Amino acid sequence: MAATAEFPFGAGDWLPGMDRREFLRLMGASLALGGVSGCVRPTGDTLVPYVAAPEEALPGRPKYYATAVPVEGFARGILVETHLGRPTKIEGNPDHPESRGATDAITQAAILDLYDPDRSCTPLRRGEPSTWTAFADEWGRQREIFAGTGGRGLALLTEPTTSPTLLRELEQFRTAFPGSRWYQHTALADYAPDGWQFDYDLGRARVILAIGSDCLFRHPACLRYARSFAKLRRVEQGQVPRSRLYVIESTPTLTGAMADVRLPASPTRLNQILDGITEAMGADSAGEGAVGPAVAVLSPDERSFIRSLARDWRLVAPEVLCVAGDEQGSAIRRWSWALNERGGAVGHTVTRRAAVRSDGDPRSAGGATALAAALRGGEVKALVIVSANPIYTSPEIRDLADSIHRLPFSAHLGSHADETAAVCRWHLPEAHFLETWGDLRGFDGTPSVMQPLIEPLYGGRSALEVLHALHAPTATGNGYDLVRETWRQGDAATEFELRWASALRRGRMEERPAHFGGDGVPGRVPSPSGRPDADRSTDPFVLGAHAPVGMVAEAAALAGKEEGATAGLAAAGWTLVLMPDPNVGDGRGSNNAWLQELPRPLTQLVWDNAALISPAMAEALGIANGDVLALSTDAARVEAAAWIVPGHAPGCVSMALGYGRTRAGFVGTGRGFDAYPLRRGSAGWTVRGLRIARTDRRYPLVTTQRHFTMEGREPVRVVPSDRIAAPPPDPTTTLYSPVPPGAHAWGMSIDLGTCLGCNACVVACQSENNTPVVGKDQVARGREMHWIRIDRYFEGDPAAPRLLHQPVPCMQCENAPCEVVCPVGATVHSSEGLNQMVYNRCVGTRYCSNNCPYKVRRFNFLDYRSPTDSPVNLQKNPDVTVRARGVMEKCTYCVQRINRARIDAAEGNRPIRDGEVRTACQQACPVEAIVFGDLADPSSQVSRRKREPANYSLLGELNTRPRTTYLPKVIHVGFPAA
Amino acid sequence: MHPRPGKIRPLFSSAATTAYRVALGLCALLITLSGVTTYAYFHANYWNRIGFAPNQPIQFSHRHHAAELHIDCRNCHATVETSAFAGMPSTQTCLTCHSQIFARTTMLRPLVESRDRDVPLRWAFVNRLPAHVFFDHSIHIAKGVACSSCHGDVGKTVLMAKAEPLTMRWCLDCHKNPAPRLSPPESIYAAVASPRSSDDLMTYYRVRTDALTDCATCHH
Repeated sequence: MAATAEFPFGAGDWLPGMDRREFLRLMGASLALGGVSGCVRPTGDTLVPYVAAPEEALPGRPKYYATAVPVEGFARGILVETHLGRPTKIEGNPDHPESRGATDAITQAAILDLYDPDRSCTPLRRGEPSTWTAFADEWGRQREIFAGTGGRGLALLTEPTTSPTLLRELEQFRTAFPGSRWYQHTALADYAPDGWQFDYDLGRARVILAIGSDCLFRHPACLRYARSFAKLRRVEQGQVPRSRLYVIESTPTLTGAMADVRLPASPTRLNQILDGITEAMGADSAGEGAVGPAVAVLSPDERSFIRSLARDWRLVAPEVLCVAGDEQGSAIRRWSWALNERGGAVGHTVTRRAAVRSDGDPRSAGGATALAAALRGGEVKALVIVSANPIYTSPEIRDLADSIHRLPFSAHLGSHADETAAVCRWHLPEAHFLETWGDLRGFDGTPSVMQPLIEPLYGGRSALEVLHALHAPTATGNGYDLVRETWRQGDAATEFELRWASALRRGRMEERPAHFGGDGVPGRVPSPSGRPDADRSTDPFVLGAHAPVGMVAEAAALAGKEEGATAGLAAAGWTLVLMPDPNVGDGRGSNNAWLQELPRPLTQLVWDNAALISPAMAEALGIANGDVLALSTDAARVEAAAWIVPGHAPGCVSMALGYGRTRAGFVGTGRGFDAYPLRRGSAGWTVRGLRIARTDRRYPLVTTQRHFTMEGREPVRVVPSDRIAAPPPDPTTTLYSPVPPGAHAWGMSIDLGTCLGCNACVVACQSENNTPVVGKDQVARGREMHWIRIDRYFEGDPAAPRLLHQPVPCMQCENAPCEVVCPVGATVHSSEGLNQMVYNRCVGTRYCSNNCPYKVRRFNFLDYRSPTDSPVNLQKNPDVTVRARGVMEKCTYCVQRINRARIDAAEGNRPIRDGEVRTACQQACPVEAIVFGDLADPSSQVSRRKREPANYSLLGELNTRPRTTYLPKVIHVGFPAA
Repeated sequence: MHPRPGKIRPLFSSAATTAYRVALGLCALLITLSGVTTYAYFHANYWNRIGFAPNQPIQFSHRHHAAELHIDCRNCHATVETSAFAGMPSTQTCLTCHSQIFARTTMLRPLVESRDRDVPLRWAFVNRLPAHVFFDHSIHIAKGVACSSCHGDVGKTVLMAKAEPLTMRWCLDCHKNPAPRLSPPESIYAAVASPRSSDDLMTYYRVRTDALTDCATCHH
């Protein structure tokens, strides 16, 4: 898996079926035809002005509106760029605490969902197109029946929500139908399984222990966490504050990749390790060398991890923090809270608050399992499913589909006619969140108002509107009125209008403190629903003096049994670790081509999920990448292709949920392998007693990077935090004038010490620069089109390597190797140091790409543009050319944004301000690792970053003199004894 | 029998040789001519559509509105100072006057229909740049390029026609040397071009030329 695997198999072979003469003949014909096509004058389009121009319409200039994107039901504040009413790009909202101007990959990709041609565009009755009126009629008859019975037999299934208006509508629904039942279902984590929601301040914790938690990358508050984490990790003038991140995890995650000390551990080992930590923490510093019974049974790696952790923890407490993954179960959750409490972190780096989301709402009758039981008992006569997809995400309830199908009335509101829609009598198209009014709360409780950017493209309606129509069919309830009604909160009209206007502009609502946690309606629900009150006697987290609880007792039975698991394939007793897919989540992102083609962090797989295994396990069992394994439990059998991941814990297999969908749409259907059948209920993230069998089949998994190692070349420099040394100097010989003559010298600095590798920049770039999606087959041929990619490396022992990643956009070399080989001058240098790509000059020789040492140039091998009648074209940025077939393209430093700023500055007769030009990747970055600006201005932020002694160039020894440079990955060393 | 040695007849007659030479010359001429013709054709006003006024839904006269009535360009092309796109007047903009004036004429029937049926007018492009060119009106206005510099003397034209070739060479002529093509602030919106000059306008408008010929200034 090293250098020999650099090129795909067969890349060097001449295609059969075409000899040299044939090739030349075709080339000649193409040339002639290409010449002829230039002789046609473009004609056609007309200029179409408004009949009555809307107020503030400014064609040619984008407008930004504040709204919020739902992330597992929580709000994340965003600003949406629109061109003449056409939303084109999502940016973070700097005023919103859960965004602070940043976004993640999933948020960036949400704009593509808006234009998804597969979204439902009409209500379906038993699969046949119908109308909203027909639905209203049929529901009207049902409603009369239920009005008579007080709603008995009527059931509602929603996803857990934070929306005050939706909760208000649910309450009104219950008032109208007191006998009805409300169920909630999500396939993902409950962030407050016991009614309490933990919140962390990573910026104040100098020693962090994360247990199976990917809180920097996959969490409703991950942007906030990542930003505050990065605050302590930024090198300033060669110095960095001392801090340390310890991570215990089975599957390599991005949080694990940020760890200074990482311990791969199968879930079966976890409890013993935690007991070891408990014991080591309990020992006072005098007895540091001593080994207690719980530590003694651990492996040397585990022991040294614990020793180091305990030492650092003691030294910096209370600036410590233990984060337990939300998928880890309540025992570990309680353990981590107890550890925090003992370290003095509670109230300092970790706080808890009543749950913001409605998971534990006492009005709710339970989850999908409870619903299935009610269906089985015949207690449900009619069912309305809002947005949830339980048929796909809960296959463990085997009779769910049948029982829903048998109901006389069932309706499903969803964006796509998905698996659940297929079993319901009615399917209703749900509007996208950019098309509707709504409200949500952030993870920290901040309420946000969501405003529509565009009328529903496909005639969908929001959950609010549909729910309202169910209980109040005569009232005119559009989303706007419903949301305003919630937030009026007894204000005088003028006062409310001011508050409302400010909420729309800022993207967050000011609210009375008294209403926090309620549903926004004064006096209706006095306390947060379903959350334990502060009575310490019933509070499971108040442990008083006796600190961390023992884990072994709970786990002993399981742990011993699985020790023998490595014996062989047939042995029952492997552990399966499930996780939401980093890109498509629980499956809701399946039909988003940007997310499908975005390489998964660390595995770099595209378009599929896989069964991830450790190198040791692969070697022991003779499994190669792409071998199809049969994974089975007593209840289910699933086949999945294997993928070897260095750093994966031995003895367990990891699989991402969200794949193997049968009715996702054109993009998502039939991709990857469905892991849901192996799951035991929505809270089951670890499945024990897994059997693995080899099949004789292979499955083509496609990755964008086959290299594991850096081959000793150090593209990513790794330095210890106590010796942040300067790199060896790069050669400076050049025949050309060293600095281009322009007024500005654009440059970029990327800080690998804070970069998470979260891919937000990749999708932001794709969205900004109209980069196409090419499909799995093309990626397999190395034809992916991302202008910025995240390279990843595994350094050291494959069992526990250091996980490194590095964003690589075009380096904008001053001595650009691509420029000198272009025969047509299609790539040339600008006066400001940009390596320009001129699409209309490019004839597609690809010499430039061959001569580029960074391999950042992308070629349109085929016509990757969407068909002209595709709604996806509406997403395109009008300021960037949509490239045709046969054209090379690459990162331009978002030159359209530079030009915009240049024009704005010139019209204002002022210089371009530092920070005025922000590239799309920089703007999206949650940790501000990417800094862009003018190197000609010594006081600019990018100049300051580049003056850091540790600043280095990627492959600088080639004398390309890149304008994009890096700051090294800093590994934090332990704390010196006081 | 052996062939008797004698006079060898030339394979081609001298006339044939002459014909060959003439043909060769003609070929050369043909090639040159076709080259010249092609060049001339593609540089001709005909190909560039200069002076060509496309059919429009309404026979709008710039001469009448801009020169005779002295209506400022910005009255209808309202976003020319603030946006890349100069802006086309909405139906309502026209109706500001024409709901009263000439409201019943045949010529303005499309306008009235546009209002009544809420269907926009569709104007044919007079000046159309290729899709890979990103032209911005506002910065050109801000830096002293008068409307007439590119759109000609609209105050003299009845039906709007293309005035300049709008080829890349034509753009670059000015981007390389803007000084002679700048207009003083008072004549930016003049309906008929007024005398232009000079180097001090470059200082006045603070025109910086260093990035003007970068590819990415117009192509991205």
